[in-house]
Amino acid sequence: MKEIKFENVRKVYGDTEVVKDLNFTVREGERLILLGPSGCGKSTILRMIAGLEEITSGNLYMNGQRVNDTPSGKRNVSMVFQNYALYPHMTVKQNIMYALKVKKIEKKEIERRFDFVLEMLQLRGYENRLPKQLSGGQRQRVALARATVNRSDFFLLDEPLSNLDAQLRVSARKELMKIHEMFGQTIVYVTHDQIEATTFADRIVLMYNGELQMIDTPDNVYHRPANVFTAKFIGSPPTNILNIEYDHGAVRIGSQSFLLNEIWKDYVNQTGTNKLLFGIRPEHIELSPVSAQKGVRGQVKYIENQGNNYGVYINVEGQEIIAMSESKNWTDGQDVYVCPVMEKIHFFDKDTERNIGYPQGLEMKDGITYSNERKVNV
Amino acid sequence: MKINRRVENVWHLIFIITILIMILPVIYAIGMSFKPLHDAYNNVLNIIPIHATLENYITLFDTLPIFRITWNTFIVATVATIFKLITAFLAAYAFVYFSFKGKEILYFLLIGTIFIPFTVTMIPNYLIISNLGMLDNVWGVILPQLADAVGIFLIRQSMKNIPLSLIEVARLDNMSHGRIMKDIVLPLVRPAITSVGIWFFISTWNEFVWPVLILKTTENFTLPLALQMFISSEGGTNFTVAMAVSVITMIIPLILYLSFQKYIIGTFTSSGIK
Repeated sequence: MKEIKFENVRKVYGDTEVVKDLNFTVREGERLILLGPSGCGKSTILRMIAGLEEITSGNLYMNGQRVNDTPSGKRNVSMVFQNYALYPHMTVKQNIMYALKVKKIEKKEIERRFDFVLEMLQLRGYENRLPKQLSGGQRQRVALARATVNRSDFFLLDEPLSNLDAQLRVSARKELMKIHEMFGQTIVYVTHDQIEATTFADRIVLMYNGELQMIDTPDNVYHRPANVFTAKFIGSPPTNILNIEYDHGAVRIGSQSFLLNEIWKDYVNQTGTNKLLFGIRPEHIELSPVSAQKGVRGQVKYIENQGNNYGVYINVEGQEIIAMSESKNWTDGQDVYVCPVMEKIHFFDKDTERNIGYPQGLEMKDGITYSNERKVNV
Repeated sequence: MKINRRVENVWHLIFIITILIMILPVIYAIGMSFKPLHDAYNNVLNIIPIHATLENYITLFDTLPIFRITWNTFIVATVATIFKLITAFLAAYAFVYFSFKGKEILYFLLIGTIFIPFTVTMIPNYLIISNLGMLDNVWGVILPQLADAVGIFLIRQSMKNIPLSLIEVARLDNMSHGRIMKDIVLPLVRPAITSVGIWFFISTWNEFVWPVLILKTTENFTLPLALQMFISSEGGTNFTVAMAVSVITMIIPLILYLSFQKYIIGTFTSSGIK
């Protein structure tokens, strides 16, 4: 059971609570990503797993054992640091082999593991170099190699790719995948980069202000955000969150309104609240220059070139909406009709900012079924 | 470019003058040690002796057990340096990597001792050494010098420059503190230890006031005390012999420096922590 379980875990530094009442389980062999803006407590969580940070209260279980007081070295954990933490006075070979030698592993076995990892991470020819004689990508691979040869059950990565350029990141991610397929460690990976998170994770833990916001698969985090923060943090540009008034199937934005379809109307009516926020992703808005019943009118403010698409910033009754458009033929000040795709809209409770959920039978054009539960803490 | 060249030349000139100012007395002393005494008085400005002679050295070896005295000095300097380095390294390691109650206060007190003048501790130290029956004994000179706050301070600064993640990686690999010290921290602070060590050695080697309090018989003297014998009012001033003692006093630190120089430069260039 290579499982990690947090039970009411808190971490307090002086007066600040950096991790608040944390409850979740990292499943055996899964790739779990801790995602969140800087200062959200994600690195602290990782360091608590590693035993580099004490736990203020609550229980941490690894392999079913309570490990709050177990020293780092006894937790069967390997870690890759953001700065790689290579020993500057040791060659690549010494860096990779050092821990194994100290652990008195048989020489033949050390050589075997070393050869294997050298081949896998394309480090052959660099064995006798010092870290300072390597490029950033090579250093990163050495750090990965050093963590791999230990054959630990748990593999912790603290922003391991953040010092690499975009292309190197892609190849480094592939290498990580390869390592994971080969050894099946339980991986906990900290990042603030959502692309890294969605491409690599089995599940994502989204943190904000020391609180767990959502834990779920990348698909669900994107399509079924648990709350306003999740909806805004995941995706770029962020989800539009609009102040609306809801009245029996009509969503009113200022003086205009559009009608929900029957499924949504029944669902929202049945929840009984009408203090709601309306959420829609920029990529789930259809823009039309001519009047459309399902939409509201606004004025184009400016256009942003996103490379593959154009972000159109629109003023609707004083609220800003961003929509993605394949065309850049919009002029500033032009009237435009904003039509949300009904299958992709979200509603949040105005007070709690939590998602109110989704009606059964929403027809998804992409054929994926998403969980309709409201997940905040699992 | 032209201006740069000129600026460079000016700097070179300044360096050359600085070096001359520093090295001239040394060369003068070496020259003096090979002059007969009357020559030293008559041809004061001649650096190279006209009538070169070894008589000063012969007098010196005849009147003093100079090998014994050099050996004493060497023992005092070496033992004090080694112990100061060991205690400084261990204390610095504790201050950097351990968290314990009262750490800040302890460090504050320790650094405070740097600001206490030697003259304040001189008498209590003397009384302690005297009570221990270690007067007129090189070990009495050594004993109060086994730890040094400046060393702790300097080595601690150097340790703090090591990224903490290096130590954490080692901790995750279940390394003992002993191993972390030996395999990781020590190699990375070696430049600091070397320079602090040389500085400790030379300052102990040249020390005068404390040994003069403790040591009574010539047999137990250190070199600075021997030097003093030839410029005291009682013994009559014999400059040229005193210069011969100076030369001998210089030799060992100089050899030490020259043999370590390559190594110091080597460690400085290869350390590159980041």
